Amino acid sequence: MAGLRRLLLDPFAVPFMARALVVVVLLGILGGVLGVHLLLRRKAFVTEALQHTVFPGVAVAFVAGQSLLVGAEVAAAVSVVLLHVLTRDDRVDTDSALALLVATFFALGVVVVSRSDSFQSSLTALLFGRILAVDARQIAETALLVVAGAGVLVALHKELLLRAFDPAGGAALGYPVRRLDLVLDLVVALAVVAAVRAVGTVLLVAFLVTPAAAARLWCRGVPAMMVGAAALTALCGWLGLAASYQASVHHGLRLAPGALVVVAITAAFLVIAAATRVRAALR
Amino acid sequence: MNGLADSLGSPFFQRALVEAVLVGVVAGAVGVHVLLRRLPFFVVAMSHATFPGVVIASVVGFNLFLGGSAFGLLVVLAVVALGASKVLDDATVIGVVLAGSFALGVLVLSARPSSSRDLSAFLVGSVLTVTRADLLTTAAVGAVLLAALAALHKELILGAFDPEGAAAAGYRTALLDTALLAIVTVALVSAVPAVGTLLAVALLTVPALAARLWVDRVVPAMVLAAAIGAASGIAGLCLSAAFGIAAGGAIALSASGAFVLSAAGARIRR
Repeated sequence: MAGLRRLLLDPFAVPFMARALVVVVLLGILGGVLGVHLLLRRKAFVTEALQHTVFPGVAVAFVAGQSLLVGAEVAAAVSVVLLHVLTRDDRVDTDSALALLVATFFALGVVVVSRSDSFQSSLTALLFGRILAVDARQIAETALLVVAGAGVLVALHKELLLRAFDPAGGAALGYPVRRLDLVLDLVVALAVVAAVRAVGTVLLVAFLVTPAAAARLWCRGVPAMMVGAAALTALCGWLGLAASYQASVHHGLRLAPGALVVVAITAAFLVIAAATRVRAALR
Repeated sequence: MNGLADSLGSPFFQRALVEAVLVGVVAGAVGVHVLLRRLPFFVVAMSHATFPGVVIASVVGFNLFLGGSAFGLLVVLAVVALGASKVLDDATVIGVVLAGSFALGVLVLSARPSSSRDLSAFLVGSVLTVTRADLLTTAAVGAVLLAALAALHKELILGAFDPEGAAAAGYRTALLDTALLAIVTVALVSAVPAVGTLLAVALLTVPALAARLWVDRVVPAMVLAAAIGAASGIAGLCLSAAFGIAAGGAIALSASGAFVLSAAGARIRR
């Protein structure tokens, strides 16, 4: 037991490790609630696209020395609106419009960052975040964004589920279907913004898509899926961060903590997928 | 603009121009099929999923093309296997596999010293450092891909517009789909030296989307998309030299510029 305790609990006695775990748990809560909605609406690509489109906003804010959060918020809002404008043309389907936005926004970010002197290290920091470098103020900001995003989703829970399972029925009952879609996209943008400093802009999709997909295989009922997804992220965050700490402190092997957490989440998904396959075969 | 005049004479820049044009032509032509089959999300996913293959290949000193392509094909198989149960939709499965394999690439890369420079070269390309051998590889791979597209043209079009009809006529549609996915994956990997994995998405979708706004027929769209892809490569490199900005980003932005002009042109014509 003592060995296990040393492996799993001692790393979090270090303040920056404890802060990293708090951020992962917070993101896991928003990722669980939001991820299940995205899963029901099959919106994996929108999530993936938005996490890239905030990049130029972050890059411009970085170069101009402004708050990264504001830059990310502006870029996310602009890309959500552009997406809705672009898809009004019949010859441009949603997937193509998303690919266009991803390519353009990401390229814009790369060009902006390439003008700064510290190109390589800033690019890596913006893309992958610095989860071990978050401070108390950033945790407070992340918590605020998580509460706001999850709060909107909980408040609109009934309407969003109706929209997901029976859009025609929802419209017939007089619910503003298009505005509900916009709200969901904007909460995704909020989640991307909340995650950007800790896990960067490219690993976030793992927090939104993978835990919800695993929970879909394992849990019944929408609230249970949300709780299951959040719990899975928290557990994998704990194990991943602890493993990264052990590797770097005791074995001199540098393993990016954010990436290790995502790999742990993916491994958990694969185990659950295999387990459900076996369970179905035994039945 | 002095930077541009100086650059034009340098062998680095001339090699970069050839590479950008080759990649632009191949990616533009393949891109039309990407749009026909609604594969943009697949391309975005593969741009992330081939990444660990490229990283691992570079760590063990293996050919980057082969490493990226081999891992990409593994990922295609994983997507097909996980999607078979039908509990999860394709987009979700692609999202899971994409995120996981990208993180794996980052993880492998982080274990090496001096990782951040190599990492950004993979992500956004470094076209000015391509060698003569890189050019030959790109040209050979591109020729094979274009030949495959030409040879399978009739079958691919039938499969895109009328998959049931193709199956009823006795075509092996699953094999055909796999062949197309393989072509797209190889085209993606061959664009990596020029524009990097993330921006290769731009060349595989945006020129085709722009061409789609001018013409409705497939072959003219492929020719036009190839021309737009090549022109984006040239324009991007010139912008990059003139203003000292990242070449991969400038190439992708030039393609986006072509789309914006095409969209404006289409609006005016109506």
